[in-house]
Amino acid sequence: MAAVDFTPASEPDLGALASVLREPTAATLPLNKLAPEAALRRLELTIVRRMEGFLHGDHRGLLPGPGSETNDARIYVPGQDDVRKMDWAVTARTQIPHVRDTIADRELEVWALLDVTPSMNWGTEGVTKRDLGIAAIATIGFLTQQMGDRFGGLIMRPDKIARIPARSGRMALYGLLRRMLTEPIVKDHSAGSFELAAGIEAMARLQRRRGLRVVVSDFLSAGDTELDPNVEPDWERPLRRLGVRNQVLCVEVVDRRELEFPDVGDILIRDPESDFQRYVNTSDAAARARFDAAAAAQRERVRIAIRRAGAGHISLRTDRDWVYDIARFVLAYRRTAAMLHQPPQGVSV
Amino acid sequence: MNLDDVFLNPERLWWWIVVPVLVALYIWIMRRKRRTGMRYTNTAVLGAVIPRQSQWRRHLAVAMSLASLVTIIAAWARPNGVERVPRERATIVLVIDVSQSMRATDVKPNRLDAAKQLSKEFVSTLPPKYNVAVVSLSGSPAVKLPPSTDRGLALRAIDGLTTQDSTAFGPALQTALAAVQMAPKGDNGEPAPGAVVLLSDGANTATESPLQAAQALAKAKIPVYTIAYGTENGSVDLDGVRQRVPPDRELMQQIANATKGTFSSAESAGQLDNVYKNLSSQVGFEEVKKETTAMWAGYGLAFAVVAALAAVSLGARWP
Repeated sequence: MAAVDFTPASEPDLGALASVLREPTAATLPLNKLAPEAALRRLELTIVRRMEGFLHGDHRGLLPGPGSETNDARIYVPGQDDVRKMDWAVTARTQIPHVRDTIADRELEVWALLDVTPSMNWGTEGVTKRDLGIAAIATIGFLTQQMGDRFGGLIMRPDKIARIPARSGRMALYGLLRRMLTEPIVKDHSAGSFELAAGIEAMARLQRRRGLRVVVSDFLSAGDTELDPNVEPDWERPLRRLGVRNQVLCVEVVDRRELEFPDVGDILIRDPESDFQRYVNTSDAAARARFDAAAAAQRERVRIAIRRAGAGHISLRTDRDWVYDIARFVLAYRRTAAMLHQPPQGVSV
Repeated sequence: MNLDDVFLNPERLWWWIVVPVLVALYIWIMRRKRRTGMRYTNTAVLGAVIPRQSQWRRHLAVAMSLASLVTIIAAWARPNGVERVPRERATIVLVIDVSQSMRATDVKPNRLDAAKQLSKEFVSTLPPKYNVAVVSLSGSPAVKLPPSTDRGLALRAIDGLTTQDSTAFGPALQTALAAVQMAPKGDNGEPAPGAVVLLSDGANTATESPLQAAQALAKAKIPVYTIAYGTENGSVDLDGVRQRVPPDRELMQQIANATKGTFSSAESAGQLDNVYKNLSSQVGFEEVKKETTAMWAGYGLAFAVVAALAAVSLGARWP
């Protein structure tokens, strides 16, 4: 006779959906599901800005040194220069021995800013936005794992910004991801003044070497009801400042229900950050249509603001495969990156 | 007022304790709301786009259901109301002062003629089944008309009143009591309820205590409706001497209080007319205790219907 289980059925495991009811208590994604490392080896994220590392790497540097890219020719200094680097064409034309300089190939330093404010602890389709953001950082991390490249992280909590030092290698990247996954979940209505603008500002102030900066957030400012794309959001200026010295990628994480409001009757809605609380009749089709239109306009504003700041824009949704979305972005990025990340004109960089 | 008089089962009113408990519970749940709502991130745009829902229907539903609870518990305790039922039959004794002071002319044409005229009108407004008796109030009060339903006799008896000497309240009240007892008994053998209307303009001049006679009337459960008639500065010439004849309001008030009647004062013919009109509605009806459960239950039903409508308008998704 088969054993009968008499214990009452416990509350069903809702996964990430429980974040609609209360703040989640742990990450909704395990470390080994963040990104398929092997599949990403064949992809490479295009880096167009010049690096100023101190190790020999795979990316174009800013200063002369041993490398693959040729720079100006200069007069040969006996005893100092290698005769193998003689530029014979210039020497013949000028009758003065010249050598051809090269620009050093440098390693890449990537810093990722992860927004973990309470509004990121939300998701209806298997993962919370915060964990989707960590997965995006993982994917970008594996895409930039070339010789000597370093990867560092900033975790933006409402009260402080935690910094994970940049180190190179796969194991260091795994450590960083584990640290992000195990970062304690921020409670709703936690005190603190850090908003995205302040986080980006802190990242720009880091004054690290030039490199790639990844900003992962939902780009929602609490209480910002502006929908007009001509009005700058408060994080746009810091983002542009960050883009002066760095190549910036913005990863916007969105949940499907932030764009399409569901029809679930009359419900009480509260905000995890502000003290917003209101009964909303979601059965009202006209109101839902208005909201969907407003949400689309809001996303369009975010897209335009990111583009205006000269940053790359990856839009990820919790109900879609982020690896596929990022891979598609990387393929298109190969053609557009050079245009997109042109250094600002008239500014000393 | 005793609670037992108002409710037949006042102990059931203890259930009213439930109401403040429910109110406290409601407030507590409102406080807890923060923990029960759905979390949502994009509330700034949501709040700007979706109109604020007014909350009054929600509170109305709760308030109305509580009000309905209160009234239904009250109905369950079987409340008594007072209802005015027209009297089938009664004996009204009209005691009219005929002392010399009634000759005073502060009420036109003089006090007695005006009182006669208005008393006749009063008598003719009484229901036809009522017995009317007329007693003259003077030094030697007399029953001018024993209780009778014949209005013609009553009018003639009032017309025939002439002034006499002195004013004796005590004997007059006793005469009125005797007149009430003269009334024929009804079909069930009980005498018709009686009432005395006492119209006087002067002070007591007899030695008998009027209040003692009033006690006798009170024992017989006959209310005395007293009317102080005339003005403070009314005067009359008696044997060539001018005498002031103000009414003794204090005494009249005491008589009325002792017999659970009412006191009123009339300084002119118009005021007397009003007093008579009030009296005819007072003596024409009797107050009967009656269970008003149905009325309270009806209020409860009305509240419950409003509460139900408010709740339905909140929750229902109309097709």
